[in-house]
Amino acid sequence: MPWSPRNLKSIVKRVTAVAAVSAIAFAAHAGPREQAKRMHDRLAGVPPTAAVLNAMETEIIAGRIQQAALMAMDHSAFYAVTIKNLVTPWTNRDQTVFAPMNDYTATVIGMVRDDVPFNELLTADILYVGSNGLGLPAASATSNTHYEELETRGIDLRTGLTRTTQSGVYGTPPAATAGIVTTRAAAQAFFVAGTNRAMFRFTLLNHMCRDLEEIQDTSRPPDRIRQDVSRSPGGDARLFLNNCVGCHSGMDPMAQAFAFYTFDEAQGRLVYTGGAVQPKYFNNDTTFAFGFRTAGDQWENRWRAGQNALLGWDSNLPGSGTGAKSLGQEFGASDAFASCQVEKVFRTVCLRTPNDALDRNRIQTMTNSFRASGYRLKQAFADAAAYCMGD
Amino acid sequence: MNRSADPRMRLVAALAPALIALVLAGCGGGASTTENPVTQPPPPAGYAGPPPASQDVQAFKLNVWDNLQGGNRCGQCHGTGGQVPSFVRNDDINLAYEAANGVVDLSNPGGSMMVSKVGGGHNCWLAADSACADQLTVWIRNWAGQTLGGTRGIDLQPPPIRDVGASKSFPTSSALFGSTVYPLLTQYCSRCHSSAATIPQSPFFAEGDVDVAYAAVRAKINLDTPADSRLVVRLREEFHNCWTDCATSANAMQAAVQAFSNGVPLTQVDPDLVLSKALTLYDGTVASGGNRFDNAVIALYEFKTGTGSVAYDTSGVEPALNLTLSGATTWVGGWGIDLRGGKAQGTTAASRKLHDLIRATGEYTVEAWVAPANVVQEEAHIIGYSGGTMVRNFTIGQTMYNYDFFNRSTTTSGNGTPALATPDAAEVLQATLQHVVATYSAVDGRRIYVNGTLVTGPDGQGAGLLTDWNDTFALVLGNEVSNDRTWQGVIRLAAVHNRALSQAQVQQNFDAGVGERFYLLFSVAHLINVPQSYVMFEGSQFDSYSYLFNEPVFISLDGAQDPDQIRIQGVRIGINGAEARVGQAYSPLDRTVTAAGYEPATGFDLSDIGTVVALDKGPAADEFFLSFERIGTNTNPFNEPTPDPLPAPPDGDPASEIGLRTFQEISASMSEMTGVPATHALVADTYNRLREQLPTIENIEGFLSSHQVGTAQLAIEYCNALVDDTGLRASYFPTLNFTAPAAQAFDTPGERALVTGPLISRAVGTGIATQPNAAEITTEVDALIGRLAACGGSCSADRTEIIVKSACSAVVGSASTLLQ
Repeated sequence: MPWSPRNLKSIVKRVTAVAAVSAIAFAAHAGPREQAKRMHDRLAGVPPTAAVLNAMETEIIAGRIQQAALMAMDHSAFYAVTIKNLVTPWTNRDQTVFAPMNDYTATVIGMVRDDVPFNELLTADILYVGSNGLGLPAASATSNTHYEELETRGIDLRTGLTRTTQSGVYGTPPAATAGIVTTRAAAQAFFVAGTNRAMFRFTLLNHMCRDLEEIQDTSRPPDRIRQDVSRSPGGDARLFLNNCVGCHSGMDPMAQAFAFYTFDEAQGRLVYTGGAVQPKYFNNDTTFAFGFRTAGDQWENRWRAGQNALLGWDSNLPGSGTGAKSLGQEFGASDAFASCQVEKVFRTVCLRTPNDALDRNRIQTMTNSFRASGYRLKQAFADAAAYCMGD
Repeated sequence: MNRSADPRMRLVAALAPALIALVLAGCGGGASTTENPVTQPPPPAGYAGPPPASQDVQAFKLNVWDNLQGGNRCGQCHGTGGQVPSFVRNDDINLAYEAANGVVDLSNPGGSMMVSKVGGGHNCWLAADSACADQLTVWIRNWAGQTLGGTRGIDLQPPPIRDVGASKSFPTSSALFGSTVYPLLTQYCSRCHSSAATIPQSPFFAEGDVDVAYAAVRAKINLDTPADSRLVVRLREEFHNCWTDCATSANAMQAAVQAFSNGVPLTQVDPDLVLSKALTLYDGTVASGGNRFDNAVIALYEFKTGTGSVAYDTSGVEPALNLTLSGATTWVGGWGIDLRGGKAQGTTAASRKLHDLIRATGEYTVEAWVAPANVVQEEAHIIGYSGGTMVRNFTIGQTMYNYDFFNRSTTTSGNGTPALATPDAAEVLQATLQHVVATYSAVDGRRIYVNGTLVTGPDGQGAGLLTDWNDTFALVLGNEVSNDRTWQGVIRLAAVHNRALSQAQVQQNFDAGVGERFYLLFSVAHLINVPQSYVMFEGSQFDSYSYLFNEPVFISLDGAQDPDQIRIQGVRIGINGAEARVGQAYSPLDRTVTAAGYEPATGFDLSDIGTVVALDKGPAADEFFLSFERIGTNTNPFNEPTPDPLPAPPDGDPASEIGLRTFQEISASMSEMTGVPATHALVADTYNRLREQLPTIENIEGFLSSHQVGTAQLAIEYCNALVDDTGLRASYFPTLNFTAPAAQAFDTPGERALVTGPLISRAVGTGIATQPNAAEITTEVDALIGRLAACGGSCSADRTEIIVKSACSAVVGSASTLLQ
């Protein structure tokens, strides 16, 4: 039964006073037991049980730090709390952590759990749904209810998620699937209305760890910039020549990969019109009638040259293609993608961005380890936990 | 006759040889207009001669003769018995017609000898020679429109062949200008050419801010030939406000420009580049803008003057409704005015022609090419014919993303309200150059077209009559006549027609574009074996800061040529000796000219897109060229420079090794500590209410007292659920007697330890040096239990449970949970 307000007020005052006192006595030294405690706290987000703590301590003493980390990651909260809250801000424009679980977060959680190579994140025909027998409403291309209930019922995601395909559940053509890009949640957030540039920008932000301002390069040819971009905003071309062109010259040729996608708000689902460019690509097409007019979903990565070559594009790929899947492959194979995943894990586990040369070198080492492990994100978590477990 | 005493006579002497050479261009020329515009010329001095011998003579009379024969215009000298050519003689209109044919070019009205003479300063009846030339062009075009008909073809002219030369470009910094030319400008020119002047005169090259002055002065300085700078020529040859004698002033200015020029290094052309020949914008063939539908225009502003404080009405319809610029108003390159709080306003007397001519037809059109400065301004009036904020005949305004159209009629108020607005959701108004047309007719009411498309639905007020229009109002651009409806933006053309333009006519004027366009023929004949071969762009000054290059075509002016298998790859636009750094839209181009795709008249299309490149010295001085990675057999592959690795960022301040648990981590941790599932109904409800009060980031420096309060409340809810669940509490506190009164349940340390022990074990952990000291927590919680149990005989029956909940909350809601 709930407490009465009078009782509550009195108790809260006393309790908070005691709780504040409890903060006083933190020791700085970290032995194996303390390292195990921190590792568990950071990976699972919750304190370990005595038994797990003892077992992890034993592993650390024995030098088997990876095993200790894997023990922590075996806690259900690693998926339901740590991974979920890492992923949720990627799934909406406001980048809020308070969004409900959706197919994007569930799919990433499942990929981490099953050690699916993470460089397939933007390409695979993959979807994770609640397992059969849980009594959940069916996963649907037009509703998020399935995932919201998965969350509110506190289903253990270690066992409650099953791998399937978007083509099977949503009916998206297999060739048109592109990992989380074509999930319902991503479509609802980034393919809705607008010009589909949002999908490009947020993919860049969330999975290459770069926002457009960081990578603008005005030296790239502007021939693929669409007609809706004013070349003389407010009557002053300097704005375009010094700013707009820096992003649009690289973004527009790549965002063309999404030319056949939109989110239908009436139906509440992703719509793919293979072969027919979405009308949104012709919004405001008289703004600069001499601009590029989209005819298909051929994309080209103009940032393979110029300063953004430093993003480390895979020289084995052609740097151009058609559709979202091949663009996802272009991103997923880049150095920036791999290091971005590691940096995000580092921030989650170490509670800070890489701060000095030691940290940056560690990021490089972890990135190499992440790739060598077959893009297992748990490897990155384990490496970060080992680095930041204290000494 | 004393020719030397009369400047008009000197003109005739100069004209005579040229007149003989003038011939009317052949068929296929002429403007597209066919109707006679509404005009109110000055009253003829009285024509009593024979009637016009043909319709063409009649068209000449109506459109040209009537406008020029007045004593305040050409009639003073070129009338009957006056100087030849007597094209405004009033004894025989047919003879005047013959004379006029010698000084006009109906296929190219703007190129007529009559126009170039007046435009060159010969007895212009307005303050600006260019305005006279424009007005005369309109009159001749109107004559031609009735005579030749059809649309004008473009007769491409071979440009001068000039190698790309080394050139000087303006440095980015204004420092050198500031130490050389600027002091002279601020000393002698700031009384007019500064926004702070009593009567500011654009361009503001003597502005207090040297960077603003530098931006404004570029078009007035010729770095390659300082003596040709407008700053110098204006003093030396045009005697414009010299501060001593003009030669001395000009020399001083030239010396300053020379000093500036001497400090600017010459940009040498890379000798490895495969280059076309060079051109300036004005070396191109003019692409006629004569395809506008202007048959019913009664006021027209093209803003060609580019200087001074008057925007001339070049509609050719008398009286000219010229606008006076005031306030923060500057001219923009490529024709236009930039309004930043100022306005352009006509007199009420001259504005009356709008009232008279529109009332006569009962319909009208207001047309403009505008570039709103932003999409946040509201109650901003772009073009109005009004008497203040409360009364008007018409106004086009801006409300954020919408255009508004006010029209006074019998179905609307005297203020033209309710206004017709473009749809909110469409956001048709954008901060870019747009063609906006507002039409009104007694059939359709109000309509708004943007970029050739009708964007409004039916006029909710329906159509009415214009009988209540007031003839004492004034035409005003960029503001209200009362100066309290400021609109910020650029107007590059404005026109008022006394007919409601049709959809097709609106589209025609949109397609005609705005500003002066040229066909730029970059010669490549020296690179390939095709005589008179060019890569041709349509070029124009796009705004004050850029040029537009559009739709390149490969073409040979030798119609006998049939070029084939010429590969053109990697085309870059060069300006003043170097390739432009931004805007190289044709660098990915890779096309092969084939005979099958080549048409002698139109050439071979290389691309259908356009690009803008930055303006450097101005359209008169900027020299363009093309470079090719490949053209024919000439190659020079472009080497993309390898980017340097980014330097490592500086080390940040040492970061805390510990941080806060975030919202869901706190809840999940409490669930672990108490054994109560997070899905417990009361817990979940409390969590959902509190979660945004809990920490969302781990940074310990972001800790707030509200975080602790939220944590405590959530802890209380978890502990409440724990103690209220008899099964769960029995396993958590296995030997504690919850049914005993509080006074007995906790009267010994051992009994209190039954509570503190499990709590510390589960919530804090044991043997962990980085956790709070267990003994200290035990002491505090033990004391808490003691205080809560000291309630004498007044303890409630559930006091024991409450005390356990309290102790639990104190531990679970403590910093050992909050920190990680």
